[in-house]
Amino acid sequence: MINSNADSAMGILFPNSYDSLVPELVSERLMASIPFASRYRLVDFMLSSMVNCGIDNISLIVKRNYHSLMDHLGSGREWDLTRKKGGLNIIPPFAQKTVNIYNGRVEAIASIIDYLKRQKEKYVIMADTNVAVNFNFSKLLQKHIDSGADVTIAYTREEVPKALRDIDMTKKDLYYTLDIDRDGRVQKIVVNNKESGENNVSMNIYVIERELLIDQIRQAYVNGLTYFERDIISPQLDKLNVQAYEHDGYFARILDLNTYFAENMKMLKEENINALFSPNPVYTKIRDDNPTRYAVGSHAKNVMAADGCVIEGEVENSVLFRGVKVGKGAKVRNCVLMQDTVIETGATVEYAITDKNVKISAYKELKGTESFPVFVEKRKQV
Amino acid sequence: MAKEMIAMLLAGGQGSRLYTLTQKLAKPAVPFGGKYRIIDFPLSNCVNSGIDTVGILTQYQPLVLNEYIGNGQPWDLDRLHGGVHVLPPYQKATGSDWYKGTANAIYQNINFIERYDPEYVIILSGDQICKQDYSDFLRFHKEKGAEFSVAVMEVPWDEASRFGLMVTDDNDKITEFQEKPKEPKSNLASMGIYIFNWDILKKYLIEDENDPDSENDFGKNVIPSLLRDKREMYAYRFSGYWKDVGTISSLWEANMEVLDPENSGINLFDDDWRIYSRNSGMTGHRIGAEAVLENSMITDGCSIDGEVRHSVLFAGVKVEKGAVIEDAVIMGGSTIKEGAQIKHCIIAENVVIEKNAVVGAMPEGDKKGVATVGSNVTIGEGAVVGPDAMVSADVKGGDKA
Repeated sequence: MINSNADSAMGILFPNSYDSLVPELVSERLMASIPFASRYRLVDFMLSSMVNCGIDNISLIVKRNYHSLMDHLGSGREWDLTRKKGGLNIIPPFAQKTVNIYNGRVEAIASIIDYLKRQKEKYVIMADTNVAVNFNFSKLLQKHIDSGADVTIAYTREEVPKALRDIDMTKKDLYYTLDIDRDGRVQKIVVNNKESGENNVSMNIYVIERELLIDQIRQAYVNGLTYFERDIISPQLDKLNVQAYEHDGYFARILDLNTYFAENMKMLKEENINALFSPNPVYTKIRDDNPTRYAVGSHAKNVMAADGCVIEGEVENSVLFRGVKVGKGAKVRNCVLMQDTVIETGATVEYAITDKNVKISAYKELKGTESFPVFVEKRKQV
Repeated sequence: MAKEMIAMLLAGGQGSRLYTLTQKLAKPAVPFGGKYRIIDFPLSNCVNSGIDTVGILTQYQPLVLNEYIGNGQPWDLDRLHGGVHVLPPYQKATGSDWYKGTANAIYQNINFIERYDPEYVIILSGDQICKQDYSDFLRFHKEKGAEFSVAVMEVPWDEASRFGLMVTDDNDKITEFQEKPKEPKSNLASMGIYIFNWDILKKYLIEDENDPDSENDFGKNVIPSLLRDKREMYAYRFSGYWKDVGTISSLWEANMEVLDPENSGINLFDDDWRIYSRNSGMTGHRIGAEAVLENSMITDGCSIDGEVRHSVLFAGVKVEKGAVIEDAVIMGGSTIKEGAQIKHCIIAENVVIEKNAVVGAMPEGDKKGVATVGSNVTIGEGAVVGPDAMVSADVKGGDKA
């Protein structure tokens, strides 16, 4: 694929979007660096999708708790983003006169407007990182160009999840549904729709011409507006041609601890793995772990596990991240065990999510339920 | 900028005793231990020992090896000055030549070594599974004031005559070298790992090259010359795990030993001495609801619905429901279909074993053969591959091989 500036796009990701929905998981990180599917972080999916579609100039505008993300991404080599031109660009908050860290995309983009002006790509594609998806950005961009749209929004047609309907203004992270006419043009954007049933749920993935984005953000910033969707796009639906693009492939959206648990569990099904990890590969940081060892006397059924684990006990219906150890006689059922969790001899763990480096001591019992999985914070010993 | 010690890794051997496994692959590129290739061991040892400049001498089937090494990044050997360099034979103003022997391979790269102006050169071989700290070896070499040191292993006396042996005095100084002698005077076997003072190595390489009768081999020519001249030569005893994986049975055995780190001494689960490799980039492996898994190593990208016992599975191996695998080494990307029986064998990369095919058998009496299926081969439905078979072409459904 040869990139000419005429139809090339740069990417902007918002790694802190929807942090407010998963307070447990982001106490020491942000949405983008939440571990998912045994060896990935959520950001890997959007980054890899963009890279696989020829987008090699990607900025991440971070707000807070971004150390884990910087550590994960490094120079961007694993995503082939160590480029002389473009590549990976992590933008921390600028030390400003005002202490306010931005809410919404308007302030975030306003903070990089000079940088945006210097870029060469004609289009900007923006996305959040709370969705694990193998997204076809090339198709989205082509549709945007072909339809002559000013803005194109990607959405999914789905039963609106309860966790989305429960979002209220106190969260500061909004969600949007789209009313679309027969020609695919967006007629109305509904903020925090409470209605249940099937709807067009915005994926918060946008394509817009870089120059148009700069103009719109400048005006909005001067007028003290906050949200790109609610304050810029929604009021101008009659003036701007806003098109909708349906993503009908697999996706896993993280909305709270329950969806986090459920979406990891869905990875135990082969068809879901195949759907999420194809057609293109998903890249992630390399850890140089050895292969996983199932010792004599171990027992494993319905498991997804990354390299570096040592299993001596029983594991069933669980997702194990890199370097997890399950000791002799330990029983692990219906669990998501993040990196380097240690389950010692004889311990029993059911319906639990353990964060990184958690240790469950020998012969301890820890049980949650399907609707309320127990969560154990990073580095905690039970 | 001078380097204290650089490494030269001999990776040109054909590895003919690995038969079908090395038909299109240099021996050091042969996969090992679930996610490694043999060459990962010496390369990781170099990096973990603080050696940042490695020349890899290739000659036989270097394509896979070249691609695998790439810029050396997985081993942290992508350096501004030094790093890893693949060194095939090349044409010079005075003509060109294949590497005629181990010593000639180094001789042809004297210019490469001179660029780093090293005090010491360590010569490594690319066909051994061993975790070794070369900095400890160098410390020994310096303490002894040696000009040449060789790493040796104590072997059982009754096996000693199979090896090149170093006879030493009480101070580990080498007094005699016996190549596969009928009556061994020592049980210290050479591991084929040498440290030379560079000035000495260079002098002897040039001398050896000018000797028309020389086979240009370290063991046969250079070491005897050093002895003749009564150079300061010492034997460094190494006592860790070491295995020459030059044959099908030793390769199979070494893989099986990985499954028993407590007793075999080869521990790949060692955070203090990691073995690095180029990663497959596949997703975590999946164990199905009806899978049976016992005492095995499973790598990223595997998908297991059948029975796997005492086996090593490399990245992306698929085992369908009803397939039974025991005592087997199955390399990356291979698929074992429903009802197939895979026992006591090595299956190379990207092999397809169709439904109900049988490969290998558990040892019985004298029949201990390790069946071997070469890369990209398909074994047809219901076909039978016997315990001593070496298969490098497709076997049709129902046939016997």
